[in-house]
Amino acid sequence: MPLNRRIGVIGSAISVPAEPNGQSLEELLYELVQSALRDAHLTIDDIDGIIVAANDQYDGRAIAVMAASGSVGGVDRDILSTPSASDHAFVMGVLRVATGQYRTQLIVSWSPTEVHSIAEAQRLAADPYFHRRLPLDDMASFSLQASVLDSKVAGAEQIAADFNASRGSVGSHQAKRSLISDGMSSPPVTGAVALIVADADFIAEHGMKNIAWLKGMGWATETGFLGDRDLSTAPALEAARDQAYGEAGITDPRHAFNALEIADPTPYQSLIVLDVLGISKRADWEKDIAAGAFAPGGKLNFNPSGGARAANPVFCTGLRSIVEAANHVRGAASSQAEFALAHAASGFAMQYHGVFIFGTQN
Amino acid sequence: MTNPRVGIIGIGQSAFRARRDDASYPDLVREAVNLALADAQLELDDIEAIVYSLSPDAMVGIGNAERLGVDAVGARNKRFLRINTGGATGISSVAAAYYHIAAGACDVIMTAGADKVGECGDSQTVLNKIWDPTYERSLPLGTITMLAMSGIRYAHKYGMSEEDMAGVVVKNRRHASLNPNAHLSKQTTIEEVMTSRYISWPIKLFDCCPQSSGGGAIVLASEKYIKDRKLDAVWITGVGHCSESYYLGDRMGRGFMADHADAHALGESFKRAYKMAGITDPQKQVHVAELYAPFSNTEFHSIEAAGLSGLGQSVPELRAGRFNIGGEIPVNASGGTLCTNAIAVTAMIRLAEAALQVRGTAGGHQVKGARVGIASGNGGDHQFFGTMVVEA
Repeated sequence: MPLNRRIGVIGSAISVPAEPNGQSLEELLYELVQSALRDAHLTIDDIDGIIVAANDQYDGRAIAVMAASGSVGGVDRDILSTPSASDHAFVMGVLRVATGQYRTQLIVSWSPTEVHSIAEAQRLAADPYFHRRLPLDDMASFSLQASVLDSKVAGAEQIAADFNASRGSVGSHQAKRSLISDGMSSPPVTGAVALIVADADFIAEHGMKNIAWLKGMGWATETGFLGDRDLSTAPALEAARDQAYGEAGITDPRHAFNALEIADPTPYQSLIVLDVLGISKRADWEKDIAAGAFAPGGKLNFNPSGGARAANPVFCTGLRSIVEAANHVRGAASSQAEFALAHAASGFAMQYHGVFIFGTQN
Repeated sequence: MTNPRVGIIGIGQSAFRARRDDASYPDLVREAVNLALADAQLELDDIEAIVYSLSPDAMVGIGNAERLGVDAVGARNKRFLRINTGGATGISSVAAAYYHIAAGACDVIMTAGADKVGECGDSQTVLNKIWDPTYERSLPLGTITMLAMSGIRYAHKYGMSEEDMAGVVVKNRRHASLNPNAHLSKQTTIEEVMTSRYISWPIKLFDCCPQSSGGGAIVLASEKYIKDRKLDAVWITGVGHCSESYYLGDRMGRGFMADHADAHALGESFKRAYKMAGITDPQKQVHVAELYAPFSNTEFHSIEAAGLSGLGQSVPELRAGRFNIGGEIPVNASGGTLCTNAIAVTAMIRLAEAALQVRGTAGGHQVKGARVGIASGNGGDHQFFGTMVVEA
């Protein structure tokens, strides 16, 4: 169903990797939000409501979002939080503006790295009886997904390696897991992202230019238990894709977008997503890789920001992809695009998916 | 542009208990979901999207436990997200579901969740972890000590006595005795409350809410969906949220912007909900209130923040029976949070109870003639507040 109001991204700020230089989290968030407000040429008084997303286990606080109250300007203003995923904060912010009860929303997410072990924090999300002792963390789940894909697609390991190589080298490496080799993923970095959305009337009244208009939005979840899923497929992504493409009127996804910002915890996940999104079907993977379609400057303009492979702010990666895609459309990124797609995935083996399409035209 | 009205068409809540050894955490969620779907006469496949209601992960001992609740709410391959505003989560989740429909994203949505606070070990140990690890966590702060300080300040400003606090307990336990879903439903006396042991002065054991296990679910639909199917609905006419500072010190001493005795942000939240609902005189226009008050002293400032009494006036008015079932404006006719607190859904149950009242199906604790109800939720360190107005 189309939303009741047209929504645009009017300002943003990315701090990935964040370099706190002795700053507290609150100071980091304050500077980030002020930067996003400056980008939108607004002050905090123009913000009607705030949506925040953080993860209790990474932050080491129960109800981690509490800490943001003052630093993001939430005192005496209303705050909701979506700890399920950073892109869910964007969904919630968009929906609130689309009701007509709010004209603007500030959306903020962050992901620290001070915790002793990110992997141990992730393990806490596994069910305590059956899976936690495996041990299951994000990278283990991606490795399992890679194994299933390798069993379904002949030569998937080589295809993933070639896909990765075609994107150029990265400077940092994550510890290897089965089928996931050096240079396929990046270690976590501290990061924080903020953006501001507004309705079309607010944008017109303020004479704002360079807007990333939200053309389509979809989000959906897989079941929580990996054993109940075929990890080589992504039916929740199909559902999210159908919502977003339906709203945006996308019928030829391979040729529809000038820029893609797609979840890339490892190449295997990116390949699955590209297939389901209809941008590079499985049968075309090898041909597209050989043609350099995914290389920097390639014809698909895949992750021109570098994606999580270049810098991985674990929890707020999804919102970062949304901002990067919006920035391509706003002309605020290195790559200018008329139509851009952001894809977000989180949870074990990409349980949650979000698809967001931005365009220059209202 | 006119926004679609949003109605409540299904309500489900567990019988809340100290322990539910017979049900896993997802089982508890599903129990409430089944009750809400039966009330709405719908199947899981009819639900287009889900808002999952879950406060601190640590309370159930699983990080992002909503991921394991996906099947319990039938959300596989559907739109799904989780809300957490601490104790306000339940009402914030209903608000989030409301926004889905009011935005035009879908026509029918469910919000659901559960908690096993009674089985978490010690909720105060978990809740201590909401505070700043460097300065405040080691005090040690808990929600009881935090609101004990509010109680002392309130008593200093307005003359509330510990007997007055006990009066809230007696009233709410009497109400809870009429509600089969209430966790603490045994009636009590002023003397019994006064002789219970101190937990954190002036709050005694009987002034505290219990640690409850159970689930809640609410199905919401658009006006078009409701009219097309000729369904009965309770309409959500007002929605508000407002937040306080994180650091308690910002509510005390010189230069504070909001007095810790009062519930400033709750009051602002109610103003927003009332403005949306067109309520200008809540003392005359509101017939029943379900206010989130986990400790007896906090019911007083909640009543005042809701505009049902002037500042400091709720104490003598409670003594006079104004907030009893049968009184002028019954407050917490279900027994309220003081008698049942499964944190993830407590504020959802406040709204559910207000909706049942205006629907006329509250059962033994029904308030006669109630057509306009209000509900509230408080979360964080008395920081996040959500409020709603519902009408028949």
